[in-house]
Amino acid sequence: MKRRELFTTLGQPAGACCKPGASRMAALIPNAVFRTQDDRRVRFYDDLIKGRQVMVLMMYASCETYCPLATQRMVELHHQVLAPRMGKDLFLVNVSLKPEQDDPAALRAYAEMHHALLPGWTFLTGDRYDVDTLRYRFFSHDHIGIDEDVEQHAGLLKIVNDPVGRWFHADLFASTRTVLEHIQWSDPPKTLKARLRDNRKLQEKIDRDRALYGFRKIA
Amino acid sequence: MSQPAMGAEKHGAENALDPGDAQPLTIDRRTLIKGSVIAGAAAVITSKKTDVFAQSLTGGSPPVAPPAMCATQPSNSPATTPFVDDLPIPQAASPTLLFPAPTRTANIAWGEAARDAHQAWDRFRPRVFYHSVAAPSLHRFHRDFSPTYLWTFNGHYPGQTFLGQYGLPMLVRFRNNLPIDHAVAAIPEMTIHLHNGHTPSESDGFAGDFFGSGLWKDNHYPNVYAGVDDFGGIGDPREAMRSFWYHDHRAEFTAPNNYMGLNGQFILYDAKDPGHEHPTPGSLRLPGYYGVTDIPLHLHAMLFCPTANGRTEAFLTGAVGPVDKWIINGKIQPKLTVRRRKYRFRIVNTGVAKEWNLSLIGPDGQQKPMTVIATDANFVQNPFVINNRPLLIPVASRFDVIIDFSQFAAGTSVYLREAQAQFVGVSVPDPAPGLPIGNVAMRFDVVNREPSFPADTPPIPSTLIAMPAPIVPDSSFTWRFTRDGDPVRFRINGQVFDHNRVDHVVLKGSSEEWTLANDVIAGNWTHPVHIHFEEGRIMSRSHTTRDAAGNIVSVDDVPLLPEELGRRDVYRLPGQDRLVIRLRFRDFVGRYLIHCHNMNHEDDFMMVRWDVVDSVAELTRRRREIDERRMLAGLPPQYGESAKTGRLV
Repeated sequence: MKRRELFTTLGQPAGACCKPGASRMAALIPNAVFRTQDDRRVRFYDDLIKGRQVMVLMMYASCETYCPLATQRMVELHHQVLAPRMGKDLFLVNVSLKPEQDDPAALRAYAEMHHALLPGWTFLTGDRYDVDTLRYRFFSHDHIGIDEDVEQHAGLLKIVNDPVGRWFHADLFASTRTVLEHIQWSDPPKTLKARLRDNRKLQEKIDRDRALYGFRKIA
Repeated sequence: MSQPAMGAEKHGAENALDPGDAQPLTIDRRTLIKGSVIAGAAAVITSKKTDVFAQSLTGGSPPVAPPAMCATQPSNSPATTPFVDDLPIPQAASPTLLFPAPTRTANIAWGEAARDAHQAWDRFRPRVFYHSVAAPSLHRFHRDFSPTYLWTFNGHYPGQTFLGQYGLPMLVRFRNNLPIDHAVAAIPEMTIHLHNGHTPSESDGFAGDFFGSGLWKDNHYPNVYAGVDDFGGIGDPREAMRSFWYHDHRAEFTAPNNYMGLNGQFILYDAKDPGHEHPTPGSLRLPGYYGVTDIPLHLHAMLFCPTANGRTEAFLTGAVGPVDKWIINGKIQPKLTVRRRKYRFRIVNTGVAKEWNLSLIGPDGQQKPMTVIATDANFVQNPFVINNRPLLIPVASRFDVIIDFSQFAAGTSVYLREAQAQFVGVSVPDPAPGLPIGNVAMRFDVVNREPSFPADTPPIPSTLIAMPAPIVPDSSFTWRFTRDGDPVRFRINGQVFDHNRVDHVVLKGSSEEWTLANDVIAGNWTHPVHIHFEEGRIMSRSHTTRDAAGNIVSVDDVPLLPEELGRRDVYRLPGQDRLVIRLRFRDFVGRYLIHCHNMNHEDDFMMVRWDVVDSVAELTRRRREIDERRMLAGLPPQYGESAKTGRLV
């Protein structure tokens, strides 16, 4: 399957299908004030999430293992596939798990180091209370041992689609195809016509798989 | 307004009659016209399925108003008075004709979801057809509640029960009419798994095979015993399974979609367990009239928002969180009138994450006996009595129990106790000594049998089946459930779930010994592990004790409980436990799953795809691929040399 096929909804305005004001997200997602890598003050929900499809990635600048890996992964995906959408109908918000350490300058340095000052990308730091609230809302496992440990939440990707009122998650360490499919699952619902067209394409793919390998290789 | 009332769904009418609904039912001109058209159609089709047809006429946007679910978690659900609602019996599904007629390959032109061709189509051509439409509907969980917005099959929660017969292949068309514009945390995409049918993989509800609103999919259920290839005919009758349930299995959203109601029961009968109580050849003569003496108990647990605008909505924001109302067959603390005779209850825990611990409490507050006859749909060899401990029911497990109510006097009440208390909210004296009302899941009111009611069945046979000798495995394999790595994640054999990746390949017709190891060191996670497609026999259970540094202190054998001696498909795996099970993979090939059936964990990718293949050449080739891929990922190979030589072990 061509990478391009994964993102056929380009140009469809976010939530075109849905009733305005249908989102439940406003009440679920904290609207606290955060600071960006440019030391701009933003409200998390109002300025970054509202009406948008946003990927939220938890990281911190001094993290040496999986945060850089996760960031690199996102940079790769950005250049390979996501670039036409980024900053237009898809955004990435990186939230520092250790806001005491990460001031805007530190986040900017981290972003520059990873060549991650890209369209649609934002790095955020803020108050510890607000970061924790955000982390609990998005990533809570309902298990104290895990939820207390910020390390367990680093490198996790949540994908929020505010107009359709749903959030998704992806493991950045799965295959590229799978990560992209997870991002695609969060796209605004397509029209029935588009769903039927995709379904036809999927059947062609299944038939191709069977002809090539004798079994259905990918889901 | 009276004109469209019929077409505007029974739900709309229900809403209007609801005393808690202060808002008058307003209908704009557009709805009125749409409604009249539907009413016209409904007048022609005066069956129970009116709503279904009406929905298809409106192009999949049924007139149930979207919910306004509360966003902040309520500290508790609204109060409910115990024992005011009768236990509902899920309606039996009625066979129907399907148009367009089902086909072996997917009928893409008519909107069938993409799939492999039905592999058992010619061997077991379906003879009975059902139509099950997923759509929003309103359901009242309690008299004191206003209706709740749910996603259900054919408008029923729990879904209609499919009553099938071994040897009578069946096909169910699952149609997705879920709305794409209702903002709920569940997702209007589905893939239906029959848990745990001996089902060809294209009809097994693989997690990645979901289809969107407006599409449909034919699931072909051959209704055969496992072992068709060896036994011929319809397979090995010793492999008979009886009590199944079907539910949505959409990757990432299994918990919310099931919480919203996308599940129901499925029962198969044969000569041994024929669905009646007459003395026919081979019949065990267990209580067997569906809905009369053979009653499904569909366990669910939810948290509700405060009643507002004529609705008592479910609380759901993402993963399913805390719950405080115990629900049986769609009602909170229901009551059931029972005659002084034996009854069979088919208990299924539909989750989403809660384990149930059920015991039967008599009027004197003492525990009374329940006889377990089947575990996870399989008869046990010797029925056993639960009378000094609760029956632990992991998520997705099924237990068939027989309760003999003749031991109680007419006019008394007996209670089903759940170990964890629920929130009731009204002050009620303890119904029995030492039994707080919060622990009561439901009440049985015992009365004398009327002459018209079926007479009691003979005593439960002491042997239900002859358990075959344990199979001799061709090879062994270990599934390690961990929470480790960098970054820390739930992992199975060192990897996170990827629905596009196969992690184990087995040969059709072979048998394997699988070790399920819960090696999660931090925390004490219990995982109800579910294996699709085949039932397994538990050979042993052991528990590892570690010191504070994580070093192994001892590994002790844990004696198996009576409910672990029969065949199972859900294996409860507490932290640091290891289970050794044996399974045989027969008759069909394709993609299957092993996963934790705590649906929140499952949605958190605690799941693995494994495939059944039908030639040794393919087995070796694909095992070699797996090992190569693992080495690229820096993981130890799973098969090593055996993948090169073609030997299985």
